[in-house]
Amino acid sequence: MKRLLSALLLAALVLPTSALAAEPATKEDKGAFISEEWELHEWVPIHLGPLNLSINKAVAYLLLGALCSCLIGILLMRVKLGRGPTRRQAVGETIYEVAQVQVAEQGLPTKAIGRWFPYVATLMIFIWTVNMLGFIPLPLSDEKVTIAGVELPTLAIFAATSTLSVTLALALMTFVFTHVEGIRANGAWRYFKSWIPEVPKVMLPLIIPLEILGQFMRLISLSVRLYANMLAGHMLILTFVGLIIVLENVFLAIVAVPAAALFYLFEVVIVVSIQAYIFAALSAIYIGSAIEPEH
Amino acid sequence: MLSSFFFLAAAEDGADAGKAIALALGIGLGSLGAGIGIGNIFGSMIQAVARQPELRGELTGIQWLGFALTEAVVFYGLIGGLLAYVLV
Repeated sequence: MKRLLSALLLAALVLPTSALAAEPATKEDKGAFISEEWELHEWVPIHLGPLNLSINKAVAYLLLGALCSCLIGILLMRVKLGRGPTRRQAVGETIYEVAQVQVAEQGLPTKAIGRWFPYVATLMIFIWTVNMLGFIPLPLSDEKVTIAGVELPTLAIFAATSTLSVTLALALMTFVFTHVEGIRANGAWRYFKSWIPEVPKVMLPLIIPLEILGQFMRLISLSVRLYANMLAGHMLILTFVGLIIVLENVFLAIVAVPAAALFYLFEVVIVVSIQAYIFAALSAIYIGSAIEPEH
Repeated sequence: MLSSFFFLAAAEDGADAGKAIALALGIGLGSLGAGIGIGNIFGSMIQAVARQPELRGELTGIQWLGFALTEAVVFYGLIGGLLAYVLV
């Protein structure tokens, strides 16, 4: 009974995604509504010279994510510590332990944990929250539906981390911190020298550009990993539900909705947490390896 | 731009169809490699835990790190394919 209920709840959560589908305009563009999910329309236009700081869907999700991660921190960490731990304290301690043991201590040298633990733990909680918000249907979409004369935004699932600019900004922070901390701990000359492995002198012209390129590839791999994971997850769910509309066959729902629900579950249970953990752990490893280069 | 990306079965444009085939092939081959890699990771994890069950906690973190790093390869393929699809 409980399982049936949760399955129904899940279907109810996934089904609203089909409401996103506006009437397809032309025959060729039937699948267009899927890519339209990633078009960001300006809600509050803010232009500062060449800078476009407008508030759009992704920004709204980010603000909400920031608020929620603050709330998580306050609600779970600022509890009265007692002999018999409450459930809240237990959850908070579990999160803290994952951030401390699995993320910070794996990558950072002991002397740097005090300074960089807050950063990697914040990254982990923030990315997890934003990812998770991406799988909860929220009335924050660009499309409107009229219910009882009131125009409301439709429920939609959208993750701020499935836009490249968000993940690139997060990766840039790690990138900058890595090099600043590397230079601060080792001095500029020693730090940049530590990039280059010990090879015969003949190989150096080949190795040096590769190693410098490798540092920038880290930036790309860190940002694209999170971005593409979230993008592909949402696309899969939307595509499966959207198939019903595209192929104009209601009976397809028998296959498509469970498939979408399966992907939804996979994303929520595994991918969301893994990606948050990976991003934080890799940030810790990069910063740690800059502070203490291997040679 | 991306609009007709998904359901190209209806596309009458030969070039579009060719691009769609290339994209699908690229992602398919990419996931082939990642599938082997992920299978390897979990297989080794099972072996390791079977031999030394007490190390499970320590190994789990490494396992998921390896999983995510391997899995991401498919998505690089996907993004590369999408870029090629949109830009070319």
